[in-house]
Amino acid sequence: MMEDSVDATSTSVSSIGSSSDDSSGGASPQMGGGVIPPSIATAGNGMPSEKTYHDLEAWLMKLSNGIPLAETEVKSLCDLARETLLNESNVQPVPAPVTVCGDIHGQWHDLMELFRIGGSAPDTNYLFMGDYVDRGYYSVETVTMLVCLKVRYPDRVFVLRGNHESRQITQVYGFYDECVRKYGSANVWKMFTDLFDYFPLTALVEHSIFCLHGGLSPSIDTLDHVRQLDRVQEVPHEGPMCDLLWSDPDDRNGWGISPRGAGFTFGVDISQQFNERNGLGLVSRAHQLVMDGYNWSHEKSVVTIFSAPNYCYRCGNQAAIMEVDENLQKTFLQFDPAPRRGEPHIGRKTPEYFL
Amino acid sequence: MMEIDPVDDGPIQKDVPTPTGPSASPFNSPAPQQPVAPISKEDEARQVIEMLRAEDVSERVSAARRLEAAAAVLGEQRTRSELLPFLTDAADDEDEVLLAVASSLGLLIPHVGGSLHAHCLLLPLEILLTVEEAAVREAACKSTEIVAQSLPQATFQGEYAEMVSRLSSKEWFTARCSAAVLLSTAYPSFNTQQQNQLLTNFSKLCRDDTPMVRRVAAQNLGKMVKNVVTVMGRTSLTPTGKVTTLLLPLYEELASNDQPDSVRLHTTDNCVIFGQIMSDIVKDAPLEHDELALISRVMPLIMATIDDRSWRVRWTAAAKFNDVISAYDMLPGTMESLVPAFEKLLQDPEAEVRTAATFNLAHVANCKARVLVSNNGRPPDGGMDSSGHRTSVAERLVKRVTSLTEDDSDHVRAALAMVATELAPILGKESTITHLVPPVLLLLRDAASEVRLNLISSLSALNEVIGVDLLSQSLLPAILDLAQDGKWRIRLAIIRQIPLLAKQLGKDFFTEKLISLCVGWLGDDIASIRLAAATNVKELAALFGTGWAMENLIPAVLEIRENKSYLRRLTALQACSMISLVVDDDTTRSELLPIILEMAADGVPNIRFNVAKELQLLAPKCGLSVFESQIAPVLSLLSEDADRDVRFFADKTSQALKKEFAMSE
Ligand SMILES: [Mn+2]
Repeated sequence: MMEDSVDATSTSVSSIGSSSDDSSGGASPQMGGGVIPPSIATAGNGMPSEKTYHDLEAWLMKLSNGIPLAETEVKSLCDLARETLLNESNVQPVPAPVTVCGDIHGQWHDLMELFRIGGSAPDTNYLFMGDYVDRGYYSVETVTMLVCLKVRYPDRVFVLRGNHESRQITQVYGFYDECVRKYGSANVWKMFTDLFDYFPLTALVEHSIFCLHGGLSPSIDTLDHVRQLDRVQEVPHEGPMCDLLWSDPDDRNGWGISPRGAGFTFGVDISQQFNERNGLGLVSRAHQLVMDGYNWSHEKSVVTIFSAPNYCYRCGNQAAIMEVDENLQKTFLQFDPAPRRGEPHIGRKTPEYFL
Repeated sequence: MMEIDPVDDGPIQKDVPTPTGPSASPFNSPAPQQPVAPISKEDEARQVIEMLRAEDVSERVSAARRLEAAAAVLGEQRTRSELLPFLTDAADDEDEVLLAVASSLGLLIPHVGGSLHAHCLLLPLEILLTVEEAAVREAACKSTEIVAQSLPQATFQGEYAEMVSRLSSKEWFTARCSAAVLLSTAYPSFNTQQQNQLLTNFSKLCRDDTPMVRRVAAQNLGKMVKNVVTVMGRTSLTPTGKVTTLLLPLYEELASNDQPDSVRLHTTDNCVIFGQIMSDIVKDAPLEHDELALISRVMPLIMATIDDRSWRVRWTAAAKFNDVISAYDMLPGTMESLVPAFEKLLQDPEAEVRTAATFNLAHVANCKARVLVSNNGRPPDGGMDSSGHRTSVAERLVKRVTSLTEDDSDHVRAALAMVATELAPILGKESTITHLVPPVLLLLRDAASEVRLNLISSLSALNEVIGVDLLSQSLLPAILDLAQDGKWRIRLAIIRQIPLLAKQLGKDFFTEKLISLCVGWLGDDIASIRLAAATNVKELAALFGTGWAMENLIPAVLEIRENKSYLRRLTALQACSMISLVVDDDTTRSELLPIILEMAADGVPNIRFNVAKELQLLAPKCGLSVFESQIAPVLSLLSEDADRDVRFFADKTSQALKKEFAMSE
């Protein structure tokens, strides 16, 4: 079992007041007013609601300043999100152009930096490949922000499920504790982990780029196999759904036992067969720390994207995102951690208080 | 190198681990707390008293914070006869509770019957002034001082004086710590005989066996001196005066090397207060010979902090050197040693000390005294300058800037880059060009990006002093290099300086040297840079006019509009729209609006809904007839778009514009 990096000194709700940077091109989503967006007016229960639209805009404003929503607001948000996500496929079609992102892991300040680098939603389209929570200190703000963007702009923002979007894993790696610390109970944790069951497992960009959190599965040959899975459940310990969220590419051919204890490793032969059989150009996945933020493998049939810079605040890695333009040309943008206001510039503690 | 393994284990195969949160299982967590219904004041008071006896510490803490409310309901009589004795008996509670009680007691004066009865609060306070936890004692001291101020003079000089005296001779050191605080504030309100006794007691505390007591005494020594001089005037500074005979010796003892560094640490503050006292005098009248002698006794104490063996003492001196300079600038003869002392801090072995000193560079340079020309790298105490020429402190310190640019520590150079240009207005044009520009050029090319960033952000102070010629000759090449810097925040900082630079450089020079750079930023990989670049070209268009913008900016915008990436086309749209807001209305209508309207046919929805968004700002400038003939048709097309976000923004803009044009008719 590994050591978790969350410690007692991490910030509580009351002290997350300000955004980290005043750069222009900031991360605040576009605000509007006065008209009900058709996306929401026609969604799910058929309740046209200008109130819902105004709520979402107000919540996005709060969240883009790093202020968590109230528990009742999270409840309403999760109810809306369930409606939206229920309409999506296990292999959710995503149009190009879109910017594809990997693990975020509760590093809210770095998510804001990601929007400064890639552009703010909805001007830029985004596909996030899972692992929004755990490890970082701001899982609540991070996952709430992404879910809120998803609900407000369902055609512009797509969110997949990662292996950390799970009841079990979040109790070990920090999201559970963070919810209890910030809300005084596990209610918000329960709302989000119940919602995670509805997140799509994979996405398909223009019938060509297959996007998912972990990797391939020996029980899955075709995209139709994925489409047939019953995804609305806790991530199982084994089987195809588990593999999609846990597997890793490997230098060895064929299938291998994963050192993680879940999912498999798969070789270049497996990736190429899978791409060929399904008419794909590329498997795009996240899940593994790569020092440059992205990493080609399997003779460019697989790419790994990791979007949490200086992962766990100490790994020293760059983060990256992949811009896929309307002709499926790919551009990788790398970035470093956002400067944190108030973080000490001096290595040693300044000697204001002692004895 | 890595302390953790960033790779996840698989799911836990056994039971779900027991979470560490307050509820036993996340699946049956407690219901959210019901909001507390409004309750009457009597109920609240009863609740507070009930809660003071509660098992749970946090309940007792929250009750202790609401003592005022309880006392208000109980009334004076019962507060004195019931609540205060209860609190006095409860002084063995947890520290958190005591802290809340100690803070609340200072608020109870009106509820015990005002100043005539305030002394009854001293009873529980005296106990809290002696507890182990320093934070509780500090809060108790604050409340005690509030209570003491409200006491009638007789009570102050009677009961209160006895209490403070009692505390200062108690066996347990915590009482004596509190006494050291209270004595220094009580001085002005005692009678003369008591004042003398008080000074004796305070001296004893400064020489206490327990270092913690000496530390608190050292912390309050400056305040004590200030009070003594305020009460007794300049007679306290004569050879037989209290400051000379009693308090300055304490300064010397507490600054001595035999003291722990936590005591010596207060030397800087105390010396600052002494300097302020003397500066107040010198404002009205020249100093007496004896007073000058006192200054020359204090100076070695300041000098000793610069050479202290503890880096914390030196850091404190460095961080507060601006206060030292402000306090002594008016006093004759002091800068001759203080400026070299500061130069020594700038060369301290510890980077933290050098950083703290560097932050004060401009402040020190701003002082009025004139000093000898620098002693050329010799240690500050290394003898006389033979020439005897005098110069401003800024002239002397600017020479240190060059050596600081070579400092090993990024933090020192980053601090330098933040303050260096502030020297320019102090130095004046000629000296800035000779002495400051060369090190500034080095900082602009520093290896650490934070250093470059800090310098760029403070450049305007320098540009205003040196003028356009030198700016274009010497600084511009370095700025142009940074325009391509690999760190996007550096490019951003440069972009933000561009409108100011453009103003200084003038239209022709700017067009020749900088326009391609400004246009290039519109195609940057980083979204924030592209947006800043669009804002920048708008400001340039506003500065240099419509004709210039159409000739120098719009061709580039048209080219970017054909880019394969929708994100670049978006920048072209935004830049075009922003420029159209500042050029003349005819140009907007006839030249720029068509460019924007054409983009409504873009294949990517994001461009189409941004056209809809931009039209909301643009249409009012084009006027009603252009709106009806050109803009409205495009908006109605967009409101039938296949994409729901395009429809949303088109409808939103249409509604807003209809409202706006209806109102203007
Ligand atoms: Mn993962």
